[in-house]
Amino acid sequence: MDRGIKIVTGAATAVSALAVLAILVFLAVSALPLFESGQFGSTLAGGWQPTGDLPRFGIGPMIAGSITLSLSALLLSFPLSLGICSFIMGGAPRPLRTFVSALVHFMTGIPTVVYGFLSVLLLVPLIRSATGGNGLSLLAACLTLTLLILPTITLMLLARLGRFDNALKLSCTALGMDEAQTQLKVLFPLAKKGMLAAAVLGFCRALGDTMIALMVSGNSPRWPDGILEPMRALTAHIGMGLATDTHSPEYRSIGAAGLVLFVLTGVLSLVIRSLGQENGEERRVA
Amino acid sequence: MPRALKVFGWFAAALVTCAVLLLVAFLVLRGGRALSPELIFGDTPWLDAVSGQKPVFDGLWPAIVGTLALVGLSAVIALPLGILSGVWLSEFGRGRVGRLVSTSVDLLAGIPSIVMGLFGFGLILALRRSFAPDANTGLILSAGCIALLVLPYLIRTTEVSLEGLPETLRLLGPSLGMSSWKSTWHILLPAASRGILSGAILAVGRAAEDTAVILLTGAVASGGIPRHLTDHFEALPYKIYYLSANHRNASELDLAFGAALMLLCLTGSLFLLAAWLQRSLEKRWAAER
Amino acid sequence: MGGSLLKTALYVCAAALLMLAVACKPATEPQQKEKPEAGKVNDQVSSELKSFEGMEGDISIAGGTAHIPVMEAAQKTIMTAYPKISITVEGGGSGKGVEKVGAGTVDIGNAGRPLTEEEIAEYGLKSYPFAVDGVAVVVHPDNPVEDLSTAQMINIYAGNITNWKDVGGADQAINIFTREEGSGTRKTFWSKLLGKGKIIEDASFVGSNGEMRLAIAGDPGAIGYVGIGHIDETVKAPKLDGVAPSQENAASGAYPIVRKLYMNTKGEPSDLVKAFIDYIWSPDGQQFCADAGYIPYKPE
Repeated sequence: MDRGIKIVTGAATAVSALAVLAILVFLAVSALPLFESGQFGSTLAGGWQPTGDLPRFGIGPMIAGSITLSLSALLLSFPLSLGICSFIMGGAPRPLRTFVSALVHFMTGIPTVVYGFLSVLLLVPLIRSATGGNGLSLLAACLTLTLLILPTITLMLLARLGRFDNALKLSCTALGMDEAQTQLKVLFPLAKKGMLAAAVLGFCRALGDTMIALMVSGNSPRWPDGILEPMRALTAHIGMGLATDTHSPEYRSIGAAGLVLFVLTGVLSLVIRSLGQENGEERRVA
Repeated sequence: MPRALKVFGWFAAALVTCAVLLLVAFLVLRGGRALSPELIFGDTPWLDAVSGQKPVFDGLWPAIVGTLALVGLSAVIALPLGILSGVWLSEFGRGRVGRLVSTSVDLLAGIPSIVMGLFGFGLILALRRSFAPDANTGLILSAGCIALLVLPYLIRTTEVSLEGLPETLRLLGPSLGMSSWKSTWHILLPAASRGILSGAILAVGRAAEDTAVILLTGAVASGGIPRHLTDHFEALPYKIYYLSANHRNASELDLAFGAALMLLCLTGSLFLLAAWLQRSLEKRWAAER
Repeated sequence: MGGSLLKTALYVCAAALLMLAVACKPATEPQQKEKPEAGKVNDQVSSELKSFEGMEGDISIAGGTAHIPVMEAAQKTIMTAYPKISITVEGGGSGKGVEKVGAGTVDIGNAGRPLTEEEIAEYGLKSYPFAVDGVAVVVHPDNPVEDLSTAQMINIYAGNITNWKDVGGADQAINIFTREEGSGTRKTFWSKLLGKGKIIEDASFVGSNGEMRLAIAGDPGAIGYVGIGHIDETVKAPKLDGVAPSQENAASGAYPIVRKLYMNTKGEPSDLVKAFIDYIWSPDGQQFCADAGYIPYKPE
């Protein structure tokens, strides 16, 4: 019977593990014609101008758009997450902390399409009337995305900072440090890897989100050049682009976009994995 | 400096709380106004609709059924696969193969949902060109892709829940002469059940809210209740996306609000429940470690 | 901590439910709702529908977003009368419609433009036009501009004119909207109005006629294009070279930017699909087209 359980669970695991490989293969195959004709480089770097004199299907602007968008969302979200983390870990009276903690957990359950929906109805008109521009813009997408990734980052920070022994915290209190001092002087420096991991995780989540970018960014295939200007993310590009012929260069550029996303998020996932332990923590087994 | 941190902490908490409460209040009030039997069943009497006798137009019923069918189907695929994989990782996953698998699972977790959808779409194209010229996007394809999407959650929570069990519990089975299988099935899994359940609930919530995958693998804006596994289907998140961009009048916008409210209640409570279960599991075994 | 977390969560949910109960209208109040403009057929099964008697099966339709109101009206009447027939309607744009029907993943692929030679040859498609629709430029209702020339349009979309005051409007930046690449509406607009001129990348992209209308309706500085059938009081359609974009002018030829709406099938359609196509051509179907703002068309 021992063998039985090993086989059954092993088989299940094999399926799960091979899924990643299968996805990579499919993406590579759909972008294959680009590799073969040597256009891959220009697809990555070039611009998107199907109606110009020389139709071009480069996804460079979309790559730049995705990275700019995710980075800006991270820059807004990370400090806020850190602040909330500090709040929950002890900067306030018990009931408030519980409430905010419950709120953050609840936020993880808000679907991205609902964020996008509410943003289209509330945020975009606000930006439009405040600035006279389009409303659909990098700013709208960035602000909405900030809310989306905030709980992800906060929860990971809480998990990582919470790994530290209660005894450590007690020692700090015994030395006369208050909550904020403990966090600032002791916990945060110790948890540098954890903080980096949380930031990378948030960035990865922002990079992979489709609906918010699709609904409020304006989807303009240009190099991002202003916070109030519309732009297009790689994810939204894929979402929009399937209205095309699967033999066309447009479709191949979508395959390339998928491949780029896969590689980017893959690398980031590996980075997060490698940041798995702090010095002086119990080693995780796998 | 520490003072500044404390103040900033309050500021951040207040800002985010206000933002979220504002959004939720707007949705609840505006969506609440739209709630009515017509929202769900349109002009069709509800009994006829639920029994499948008459189709529902201009109502959310097909989308609700579609979402439930999708989630159910993905759960059937993902739960056994995920839990068994989690068991393997925690029981047999030491060493190089284990680390390789674990890395693979982490990579899977990082894949954006739209890429998963692209994979599903590409799969159908490949099938059509080779073995199965009649293959088409539909419920089963979407369910499969969503299962892949949520698999990492299930695997990880199962693995972590099992690993979190005290050593004494692991030794209990073998010390009584039980085989590995029996020990896992009768002792370890039940003990870790709350954590595993929380992972399952998380997976269900994630499956219900996903839009990007179904965008490419079989969701339609208007199509009634799916009648077989390969049918196209409606789903709440897709309906929200479609209606927000394409509503022709106020009542269609009401549909979108109603759908958004329903979806939010569903996923919000699922995620809260999962979090609570996870907490209670940790508490239960914390003392014994 | 777990216990109080749960309690908090319960309080929050209870509060939300209370708010809902207060905000909800009681269901017994008669609700005056707008219905979409799709055609209504009286309660009796009209004679055209009888052609579906005894049939069952699925019809999947995808493609042009301009076609959707007509398709959905037919879907509703057919499915209500014959629940054994299931019809699904997707949008996605003309490109997706042709692609899907060519690949065989849907039964009818709608396109707002004629098929190209390559498409007919590669996929073996048959085309069934059923309506005439024009493509008109639209702007925000408060925009004072009444007339635009073709030359101005070409320059606006190429990015040479960037402010409304240069074409007789207010001092406001022009926000350009365009459709996704596969759109038939876009192709008609691009080839017939812009003369295949450049569309600047800076344009914002939307994915359907409905989206375009919403986008223009919400932005005072916006300019875009929709099928004439999609024009309603939320947007304004200025004249093009002095000709008002109406369906009458489109039918008479005075307004030149027109296209037909086509249903396409791969090879000969099945009996059920053929019945559907005939239904769209029938007086019922023509009524649906008219209700949606199109000019019904039936090839002789």
